[in-house]
Amino acid sequence: QTLRFAHVDPADWQTSKKGAAGEIFKQIVEGETDLTVELFPAGSLGNEDELVGQAQDGLTQVVMVSGAMSKICPAAGVLDIPYTFSSAPLAWKVLDGEFGDALAQHCLDETGLRTLAYGETGFRNFTNNVREIRTPADMEGLKFRVQPIPLYVEMVKGLGGEPTPIAWTELPNALSTGVVDGQENPVGVIYNNGLHKLQKYMTLDGHVYAADFLLISDEFFQSLDPAEQAVVEKAAKVAGNMGRSIQQYSTAVGINAVQDEGMQVYSPTDEEIAQFRDAAQPAVKEWLAGELGDDAQWIDRLDSAIGAASE
Amino acid sequence: MAWIVLLVGLLAGLPIAFAILAALSLFMATGDAPYHIRIVATEMFKGLNSFPLLAIPLFILAGEVMNASGITQRIIAFANALVGGFRAGLAQVNIWASVIFAGLSGSAVADTSALGRVFIPEMEKHGYDRAFAAALTAASSVIGPIIPPSIPVIIYALIVSGVSVPALFLAGIVPGLLLAVFLSVYVALTVKEADITPDPDLTTRPRRAALLGGILPLLMPVFVVGSILLGVVTPTEAASFAVAYALVLGLLVYRNLTWRALPGLFSGAMRDSAVILVIIAAVAAANWLLTYNRVPNMLTDWVLGNVDSQVAFLLAVIVLFLFVGLFLEGIAAMLVLVPIVHPIAVSLGVDPVHFGIIVIFNLMIGLITPPLGLCLFVAEDIAKVGMARLVRAILPFFAVEVAVLLILTFVPDLVTFLPSALGY
Amino acid sequence: MTRLSRLYAHVLAIVAGACMALVFGVIFVNSLRRYVSGQSLPWGDELPVYVTIYGVMSGVALACLQDRHIRFAVLLDALSDHARGRLLLAMDAVTCIVGVALAWSGLVFVSRRPQVEASGLIGSAQDLAAATGIEALVWLGRMGTWQFAIVYGGVALALAAALRLSTRAKEI
Ligand code: NA
Ligand code: NA
Repeated sequence: QTLRFAHVDPADWQTSKKGAAGEIFKQIVEGETDLTVELFPAGSLGNEDELVGQAQDGLTQVVMVSGAMSKICPAAGVLDIPYTFSSAPLAWKVLDGEFGDALAQHCLDETGLRTLAYGETGFRNFTNNVREIRTPADMEGLKFRVQPIPLYVEMVKGLGGEPTPIAWTELPNALSTGVVDGQENPVGVIYNNGLHKLQKYMTLDGHVYAADFLLISDEFFQSLDPAEQAVVEKAAKVAGNMGRSIQQYSTAVGINAVQDEGMQVYSPTDEEIAQFRDAAQPAVKEWLAGELGDDAQWIDRLDSAIGAASE
Repeated sequence: MAWIVLLVGLLAGLPIAFAILAALSLFMATGDAPYHIRIVATEMFKGLNSFPLLAIPLFILAGEVMNASGITQRIIAFANALVGGFRAGLAQVNIWASVIFAGLSGSAVADTSALGRVFIPEMEKHGYDRAFAAALTAASSVIGPIIPPSIPVIIYALIVSGVSVPALFLAGIVPGLLLAVFLSVYVALTVKEADITPDPDLTTRPRRAALLGGILPLLMPVFVVGSILLGVVTPTEAASFAVAYALVLGLLVYRNLTWRALPGLFSGAMRDSAVILVIIAAVAAANWLLTYNRVPNMLTDWVLGNVDSQVAFLLAVIVLFLFVGLFLEGIAAMLVLVPIVHPIAVSLGVDPVHFGIIVIFNLMIGLITPPLGLCLFVAEDIAKVGMARLVRAILPFFAVEVAVLLILTFVPDLVTFLPSALGY
Repeated sequence: MTRLSRLYAHVLAIVAGACMALVFGVIFVNSLRRYVSGQSLPWGDELPVYVTIYGVMSGVALACLQDRHIRFAVLLDALSDHARGRLLLAMDAVTCIVGVALAWSGLVFVSRRPQVEASGLIGSAQDLAAATGIEALVWLGRMGTWQFAIVYGGVALALAAALRLSTRAKEI
């Protein structure tokens, strides 16, 4: 039996978190079962929304996606509430604990896709070409490219910037020519795509902790025998952690490299982060609660999970 | 079975897009799971669901508006005043008008149709062979998408992430001009003066008026490309600025475009774009099937296993793309082949911007090669000299263009000098 | 062309032209407005793409009615007038079948998950529905509305090919 594993990141495992996750998943599963794993990196089968659809339709079996998850399972959007997680280890504790399990079960019921493991795309940070940003006041009037996702639009508005939805494919041009002043992405994405060459300043505000979701079509999963299921689940957990590790590594390398190449990087103090949180969170939470309806309980569940994990 | 449907359909003259869709639908409808008829629509929608693709209808619309608003005629008059007095003057005007037009338009087909309507009858009137006039028009309009702005460049940057549109735009300027010079020299060397009655207008025509009249149209490329480089718009959005500029000139400045003519221009532009976009959508759907079965990976592995030098690879790419260009529309060919050849080029150390221009140049030559050459079709549609005659007339130009392509391939500095000098 | 074909061509041209005008208008105004005031429309990127798909589908049918699609004409050129007419007639019939297949494919596609939200459009669509009180307008922000373009295109093409076939049959 062939298992197709698709994602939108590059294939190279040393720089690409999803590439690394796919590679180790393939090695483990092929080594310990009779299954064959075919990797489809770099969006060769489609963008994230399309990959999720293909997994639901049984065309692909395993997909690793980030932003697309909250579109099919809105409750997953609570993870995107800005300035929620103060550190990556805290996020791991929450996602690998009861909260993550409950969310995975909820999303399985909603979508037919089983979350085998969580990886990470990493904390997202603002970059721009105009001035150093230390507090939300510095964002006033700057045009930031955001994904056309309402949560990001609300967040940038809350911080005083001007959210500008521009397609990812148009972003390098928009930055180099000044159509927009800045953008926001994880450091690894910024560095690997050369966006730091187009931007002068970066602020490590870590506004959103973006998780990766390693998903398998549940219909396919149930068709496997128990031994295969166990290997697939184990391989996925390892893959999720591998993705996190490579992501952490890319971020660390990236922060050093962008500074070597002349970018000014600023790490806000706890007080300054609190200012960002106060400016962005209320508007986003209110908006999200309205969006989620019955699922709004997940906002409080996340808050209490974080509270418990922080103790 | 699906292959038979595809081949018979193509041979029998079924529109290319429908031949692909017929074969693919048959395959999906009769195939075992996970294949399903739904995939045809899903993947077609996916193929069209792309912002940079909007450059196609917008640039085609810009071309329609330029024709209808007298901009085309002014460019020709301008070029005539500049180079009309040289040996084989009108043929030179044809080439250099294409260069100027290239700065306004992003599509070679639009250039052939705009300039051909004027030049083919005009050149015949002055004693040129009608087939030669049509061939020259088609051949020189290949310059259009090489010099910015350019639809193929925008699509190329969409397929290959990490190659920027401004860099490719700048990289295309020298190759475009080089092609014009080569065509120009070829025409000067081969057209016998005795066959041609000199342009009677040129001595009497108020040259100064023609030059002045060219100023506003010539500001258009400055306006369009400038708006990209200055950060007003993204390259795709710039196509809408080209439309707006042409509309303002036609409606308000020259006033030979009426509001009542607009609906016809708009629907015509969308129809002509649809003819190309439906092929792109069908190819995208077929592409999905190829990728799903890992055909590109197998090809890549095979090539990397058998070709290890840059020179051999680039020559192989040129032959392959010239061959594919015979049968496939340029952008559709890019969608199929670039995802395969680009990673190989990068792993062999070819500069991505250089490679991009070679690929685009290569596929644009396909616009003038039979059996499927869009510029050839458009030129024949205007000239009505018969495809066989037109093809014979275009062969020498084809040879010139391949020669320029080889020069560009093996002298990369011609391509990369300008973008790297300007910091891209 | 018969009167019916001309009328149909006219309708398709209106739809195609309106889509073209809308796409141009939205992209031009959005980029100009962003440059002048720094603000951009949340749907300024996505809407033109989807409208173009409807425009393309109209254009495909229109081009079919007017015999403007790109094809290899080698065999057609080599045939006698009589044989060419017969062959084109057959190709019209195949095109009609392709249209039906496309409509079928599109219908299965669109009925799969039509309620999925278009992230750039859903917010404005909800606002519009709330402001007007017309609940159905929310569907402007859902993918199903735009995916339906393929069904529309398939039906429009089948109809165009059928009309082309009947016209050509009379001409022969
Ligand atoms: Na051009
Ligand atoms: Na060709």
